Amino acid sequence: MKKKVLTKEDILHLAKLSNLKLSDEEIEKYLKQLEETVEYVKNLDELKTDKVSPTSQTTNLTDVYFADGETNERGLKLKEKYFIVKRIM
Amino acid sequence: MDKYIPVIGLEIHVELKTKSKMFCQCTADYFGKEPNTNTCPVCLGMPGALPVPNKKAIEWTALIGRALACKINRVSKFDRKHYFYPDLPKGYQISQYDQPIAIRGSLKITKSVPVHPAGGIKTFRITRVHLEEDTGKLLHVGSDTLVDFNRSGVPLVEIVTEPDFDNTEDVKVFLEELHTIIRYLGVSDADMEKGSMRMEPNISVKKITSTKKQDTNISQNSNDQQRFRTQLRQGYDGRASQYDKLPNYKVEVKNINSFNYVKKAIDYEIERQVDLLENGETPMQETRGYDEKKGITYSQRSKEEAHDYRYFPEPDIPPMTFSKEYIEAINIPELPQEKVNKYVRLGLKINDAFIITRDKVLNDRFEKIILKIKQQDNVKVTDVSNFIINKKETASLTEEELYRKIKEFRKPKEIDEKEFDTSIKRLIEVNKKAVEDYKKGKVNALMFLVGQVMREMKGKADPKLVKDKLIQILNSKS
Amino acid sequence: MNLHGKSLLELKQLVIEKKISEKELNQYFLKRIRKFNPKLNAFITVLENNQLGIPYGAKDMFCTKGIRTTAASKVLDNFVPPYESTVTKKLQEAGMSVLGKTNMDAWAHGASTETSDYGVSKNPWDNKRYPGGSSGGSAAAISAYLVPAAIGTDTGGSIRHPSAWCGVIGLKPTYGRVSRYGVIAMGSSWDCPGPMTLNVEDNAYLLKQIAGKDKYDATSSSIAVQDYTNEIKKNKKFKIGIAESYFAGIDDQIKKHVYKSIDVLKKLGHAVKPIKLLPPKYSISVYTILQRAEVSSNLGRYDGIRYGNDRNFFGQEAKRRIMLGTYTLSYGYYDAFYKNAQKVRSIIIENFKSVFKDVDLIVGPNTPVTALNIGEFEKYPFYGELMDQLNEPASTAGIPDLSIPVGLDSNNLPIGFQIMGNYFEEANILNLAYQFEKETDFFGVIKKGINNYKD
Repeated sequence: MKKKVLTKEDILHLAKLSNLKLSDEEIEKYLKQLEETVEYVKNLDELKTDKVSPTSQTTNLTDVYFADGETNERGLKLKEKYFIVKRIM
Repeated sequence: MDKYIPVIGLEIHVELKTKSKMFCQCTADYFGKEPNTNTCPVCLGMPGALPVPNKKAIEWTALIGRALACKINRVSKFDRKHYFYPDLPKGYQISQYDQPIAIRGSLKITKSVPVHPAGGIKTFRITRVHLEEDTGKLLHVGSDTLVDFNRSGVPLVEIVTEPDFDNTEDVKVFLEELHTIIRYLGVSDADMEKGSMRMEPNISVKKITSTKKQDTNISQNSNDQQRFRTQLRQGYDGRASQYDKLPNYKVEVKNINSFNYVKKAIDYEIERQVDLLENGETPMQETRGYDEKKGITYSQRSKEEAHDYRYFPEPDIPPMTFSKEYIEAINIPELPQEKVNKYVRLGLKINDAFIITRDKVLNDRFEKIILKIKQQDNVKVTDVSNFIINKKETASLTEEELYRKIKEFRKPKEIDEKEFDTSIKRLIEVNKKAVEDYKKGKVNALMFLVGQVMREMKGKADPKLVKDKLIQILNSKS
Repeated sequence: MNLHGKSLLELKQLVIEKKISEKELNQYFLKRIRKFNPKLNAFITVLENNQLGIPYGAKDMFCTKGIRTTAASKVLDNFVPPYESTVTKKLQEAGMSVLGKTNMDAWAHGASTETSDYGVSKNPWDNKRYPGGSSGGSAAAISAYLVPAAIGTDTGGSIRHPSAWCGVIGLKPTYGRVSRYGVIAMGSSWDCPGPMTLNVEDNAYLLKQIAGKDKYDATSSSIAVQDYTNEIKKNKKFKIGIAESYFAGIDDQIKKHVYKSIDVLKKLGHAVKPIKLLPPKYSISVYTILQRAEVSSNLGRYDGIRYGNDRNFFGQEAKRRIMLGTYTLSYGYYDAFYKNAQKVRSIIIENFKSVFKDVDLIVGPNTPVTALNIGEFEKYPFYGELMDQLNEPASTAGIPDLSIPVGLDSNNLPIGFQIMGNYFEEANILNLAYQFEKETDFFGVIKKGINNYKD
């Protein structure tokens, strides 16, 4: 794994991608905690993985579908006509 | 001034006309419904709701892939694509990243009138065809943006081409051909006014360095395969590094819903980018919108800004598999290009064959009528096409009625006996030499005379009748 | 009639025989909740007017139609789901009803309930201590007999860990055995709803009710559900594996009780043999990377537009996890973190698969220490993860794992013991636990716990 020291800018970038507003205090805290965690998980480098294929899910299931046009038993009646947010454009 | 070549690629989104949405049983036919009445916990992104994919949508995506000569991946999967926007209820869109349903295809286009100089046919490469879910719709009113999730989760197929286009005329013809194919497959209305087909060209221009104009229709490029793999692995989004031969930026114009606007938007972009380059600037990599009223593109947001989609395999949906047998058994209906070839063999001019295959409804009608042709009716396939192409007002007629009309039109006219006699006699006077020859026993001379009479009668007479009559007159004169 | 301490199935039988009405039953437990919950804080929401059905507690992670569901986060403080989770729906169909929504770590992030926005739950054995987590409210509620049974969710130990610390029985089924539909998603490829009970038979009964293929969860398995209450009573002898790597750094008293329990199993005629399992530390890393990534994605929907409050209402732990998950998925780091962790996940799965060619079940300690004092978690660098280290391997592989109590330490705190089985072999796990129960009655732990809270 690449050795990389996180910067405050990295944290801000991650916060932006995560749509989170962080206080200065939180930025400092997460910076430290993120680095600690990244340090811990380096133990995975002890294992050889180059010939291993990744596991995305443990079920071994494939091709689970529903048939088009099946009766809809879950339709919702909402109170809201529209959901409203502050104008974005 | 330097010379520049445009480098254009296309992304096309097509909404499938399945009955249900992509991951829930809400109806996919959201058009015209009261806002937010076509929703459920899944397409509203409620806590705890899970997606289960619609089988038909997957089959139809594979069908589109095959119709575009793609390879169907034996194992495909969904991935989550993350970004925040009010019309995206889950904070991610279920899409496909590195194992789309179909990859590496191509689409040939034939330019209609005039027929393209290079044999009329050009091939453009399809990078991938993948399946995803549509978002909700936004409405901007006063200081508010209103969100309607009726469309959220409608199956959406994304078709991506290689940046193989160097002019907008090809782009337009390509899009028209693709539109026609989608309609023939019966998987989407591809109705641009309703937004069920949306187009996003990406455009850059490169300076020509050598004196020779390069051919950017580069399907012969031996590095293609390698480049394609690299591109897929690195992702075709922000993660990708641009391949070396292309400009180091591209401008994407979002969500255009007419072929003409695509053409105009690209033309505008080419001009804008060339101006920038002439001034020594490099156009910014960005996403732009198209203002159809002003006929200009405008900057939306910088692509680097927050476009790290953080794709990862969708853990809620097991992978899809396509067996060899399944892929081979995919039944592609006869597509417009095959039909054009078939019609040319049946005697149609290529332009007519092209016209008659553009509209599926019209073409269905044509096919049905030509099946009705009986030998004794004296109707040719070209009669039907001429009729359909030239007499559009016949649209209200049933196929039965229309065929009767064509048959009527083709029926030999009643011949005025008097006129017939007069012209035979006159021709016998004029062609004395032939008459002599006939009398000397030259059969060819008789055929010559028949031809002359037919010409005089403008083809309206029955040749057998003419021949009999001639023999009768010539023999009686001897 | 004296109901105190009666099992779920005993209560059900009393109702069937009309010896007690459902209303009386609900009132009995409501009275106990009123009496003890102010001290234990095991519930976030109590259904004060509930009169029908056999009552149980549902972790506040399950969407319950018309009943506020918070995931213990202020983001969902006012969220009333318009639909019912498959698990609670199935239990409804089996004649049961939710009497209360139990407390938990917010979004199930933690092993203490300390991250709950509704206050920490207290361990019924010592109110100055954590009940464990994240399903701490469920474990505390049944340990103090505020409900006869509860449902929890387990992503990396969230059922097993509090079950061990509160001295009850908690099962994490095979991933895909129980539908996740309507369960607020934490780590989607890990989350397993499961039963928490006061005896093995109740556990087997509840599993049978909630297990099975769900058309609304594409990852649920269509493998036939067994009649677990029947299966547990069969006379079976197992080959049982013990992995030395699971005893490293474990509290001595816990070790002692675990070895004593293994002797019981030997005495019952089961063959016990050493096996080799990868050290749990790798599972911790795999879990940390993959689960945080899924968390960062799953919490994306909470934007306050369609329901609930906006993202400013997330607590510290949720934000920390979102940040880490975003980091490991982001451009340039995906292969080094996420993909590599997925590969190690394959290695861990293979490790279990090969071990299960040799043995039927694996047993060992469940937690490295018994319940910690409230406030002590601060001392541990990454909170729950080290507490869950013995549970995370089974979660990584997706195999079933049961926690049972096997004694008390010198502080009178319950000690947990875990039984892991092969995929979909919950019946074997429960069978062994049932044999153990018949032999030892869990050394009186469960009864003692209940008796600490008399009517």
